Amino acid sequence: MSLLAAKKLPHRWDKYLERPFWRLVQLFGERIFRGGGDSDSEGLDLGIGLVLTMLAMPGGFVALLLLNKYGSLLQWMRGQKNVDTLMIALPDEYFFIVLSMVVTGAVAIWRWDAIFPDRRDFGNLVHLPISTRTIFSANLAAVLFLVALVAFDVNAASCVLFPAVVTAAQTEFLFFVKFAAVHFIGAVLASIFSFFAVFSVLGALMAVLPASAFKRISAYVRGLIVVYLVSLLCTSAAVPDKIWRIRDHTPAWMFFLPSTWFLALCQSLRARSNPALMQLERLILPGFLVVVAVALGTYAIGYRRHFMRIAEMSETTAGTRNPRPSRFGNALRQLLLRTPFQRGCFSFVAKTLLRSETHRLVLAAFAGLALVLASQAMMIALEGAKSARAAALSADALSVPFILTFLSIVGMRLVFEIPVELRANWIFQLTLDRQRQECEPLARRVILITVLPWAAGVTFAVYFYFAGIVAASLHALLVLTWSVLLTNLLLIRFRKLPFTCSFPVFKQHSIVILIAFCFGFRIYAVSTPDFEASALLNPIRLLSLLPPALVAWYIPRHFAGNTIEVERKMIFEETGPRSFEMLHLGE
Amino acid sequence: MLEANQLTKRYASLPAVQDLSFTLRPGQVLGCLGPNGSGKSTTVKMLTGLLEPTRGTVQFNGHSIQDDLPAYRRRLGYVPEEAHLYPYLTGWEYLEMVGTLRGMARAAIESKIDRLLQLFSLHPSRHASIGTYSKGMRQRILLIAALMHDPEIFIFDEPLSGLDVTSALIFKNLVHALGHAGKLVFYCSHVLEVVEKVCSDVLILRKGVVIAHDSVANVGRILGESLENTFLHLVDDVDTLRVANDIVEVMRAA
Repeated sequence: MSLLAAKKLPHRWDKYLERPFWRLVQLFGERIFRGGGDSDSEGLDLGIGLVLTMLAMPGGFVALLLLNKYGSLLQWMRGQKNVDTLMIALPDEYFFIVLSMVVTGAVAIWRWDAIFPDRRDFGNLVHLPISTRTIFSANLAAVLFLVALVAFDVNAASCVLFPAVVTAAQTEFLFFVKFAAVHFIGAVLASIFSFFAVFSVLGALMAVLPASAFKRISAYVRGLIVVYLVSLLCTSAAVPDKIWRIRDHTPAWMFFLPSTWFLALCQSLRARSNPALMQLERLILPGFLVVVAVALGTYAIGYRRHFMRIAEMSETTAGTRNPRPSRFGNALRQLLLRTPFQRGCFSFVAKTLLRSETHRLVLAAFAGLALVLASQAMMIALEGAKSARAAALSADALSVPFILTFLSIVGMRLVFEIPVELRANWIFQLTLDRQRQECEPLARRVILITVLPWAAGVTFAVYFYFAGIVAASLHALLVLTWSVLLTNLLLIRFRKLPFTCSFPVFKQHSIVILIAFCFGFRIYAVSTPDFEASALLNPIRLLSLLPPALVAWYIPRHFAGNTIEVERKMIFEETGPRSFEMLHLGE
Repeated sequence: MLEANQLTKRYASLPAVQDLSFTLRPGQVLGCLGPNGSGKSTTVKMLTGLLEPTRGTVQFNGHSIQDDLPAYRRRLGYVPEEAHLYPYLTGWEYLEMVGTLRGMARAAIESKIDRLLQLFSLHPSRHASIGTYSKGMRQRILLIAALMHDPEIFIFDEPLSGLDVTSALIFKNLVHALGHAGKLVFYCSHVLEVVEKVCSDVLILRKGVVIAHDSVANVGRILGESLENTFLHLVDDVDTLRVANDIVEVMRAA
């Protein structure tokens, strides 16, 4: 009897899954991963498996890199005896908690457009005999499933590998199990909190604002959240040190840093808490209740306000923007952009950078990183400085515009590679002359027009105030020259209109590019200001920067001169190197 | 004059179009008909220079279009089959960009866009992003983009797709007017009635090969039938009435 029931079970389960509700959950689940929004764009469809692998990778890699720190042999070789493993694991545990929050928060931002059912869902589902309540519940179930899946996936590798690495020198298996369980609870709860926090911020906006205003404003809010997440990641270096020191009194700023709450929870579960940490731990429950309640409440309101009323809303919302530039704008356009190609494409590139979600998010991430690194450099410069002038002329303060320009230029160069609506590039294929390649000058103009005015202008103004005209002029000139040279180097053999070419095929030298990026940052934003700080005392020494500048100026010209005709042609598709070529001898 | 000589396109070794030849003279409106997979889109892509033929040439005024593709494209107005546009640009911005890329003067761009948007009833939504446009509105944007630089050759690939009745009627009259103005019009469509009404000549393709090429009147006269019946006679081996009845039968089956 029971055998018969067991045999019928899979069949019953299949039947159960065929119910409309579960089919909808499946539909929304796939939609969240594979795309959504009103655009017909195919987007970047990486597939669920690959996305989950990519999300799990950072935690796994970082855990493996820590092997060096926790290996018993290495500890013995360093002379570290009777090490308190739990104590030295605290900064790393904090890092993993922050990482899980950042990655999950980034997923919530990235997939926000796909989380809510849109006009397409309305058109496809509402005329079917399914109640809108079922659609609501199914979408909610899919969102909750997504939260659980992402929270588990992001922490899966680190929750096994990190405890394994930390307890490598321990003999008791129970120690590993306990450590892993506590870490898992802390990291997964942090992930879920992060998702609902982002969800509640955007949901609240959606519930309050009209649809058109929400679309416009949410993009900027998302950018701000990205900056916050990047900043949060950067706290992982400084915060553990502060947490070590607190005993009875918790600094007020820590209450606003949710990552510390979850670290406090881990410490408490390991019976290593103190009154200050207990204060932080107590915030978890109310914090969770608030973000989950706000997220679900605003989700319901948003659903009612937006989805249920899609039929009432006009498909088009007439904007009020006047696209005609002023006379001054026109004159500037004519001056800076000489050819119809440059004028037409500059406006296209600028609008894409400002309006395409993906591009804005990537740029915001770079901007966030730049701001965090620059503010850290500024803080170091101000620490212990005798005067404002001395602080301004220190290598750390001088590095600020270099850090900002380096990351802005590299960020822009990177986003040029990310395509947008590839199927719409037919208009460029049809109207542009592929032989008369103006892509590189155009890309250079876009970067320099975007970066140089504020970089050179603000640098000059600030240094003029603090250090006088000579230092201000020299510093601004150096920032300007370095920015131009870096831009030229990054655009070697650039022969595509930004955003209109397919993704570059995977290149084996990607690792080399990454190393070059780090090395370039070191030279550009660390070594140059170091040298400049000493050279400003005797400005004639700055002339020794001339030979490297000339080399950097010559390299792109050399490459341009040695490029064969085919490689100068503008491209709309990236192709990998061919292993063989058809000769078409029969034709 | 636009001439296609022995145009052949192969994908790998599979022929999409074979030995296609025709001449398009000023004032002539040539309709191109064919079922799915007959090679219409490939032909259009070769005529616009988006695809290079495997063999044969497309000549405009005696010169191969491949010799100076940009010059040829400056004289070309093209409406593709699908309205793929940048959704985050507004209708105005998209048209302004196309006009600038075509090297038109700023004043001309602004006045033409303004006037054409009004004529195509898109003026009220000119500053809304294209992502919010309906299919018909996007199609009208494509039509304006093809018309605004006053080209000599027009290539329309299913231009009526998604257009409302009024816009479709305007467009049919527009094609007539373009023919009368001495423009060269190549018109690809599935809609036989429209081809019958607006085209002076017709080219019927089947599996990449031309099976009929004559004036619309002559093609019908040869077989003594309407263009629709002629098309079915020449192209399809399917008994459409029987298929329709079979569909109803399947629909009614338990």
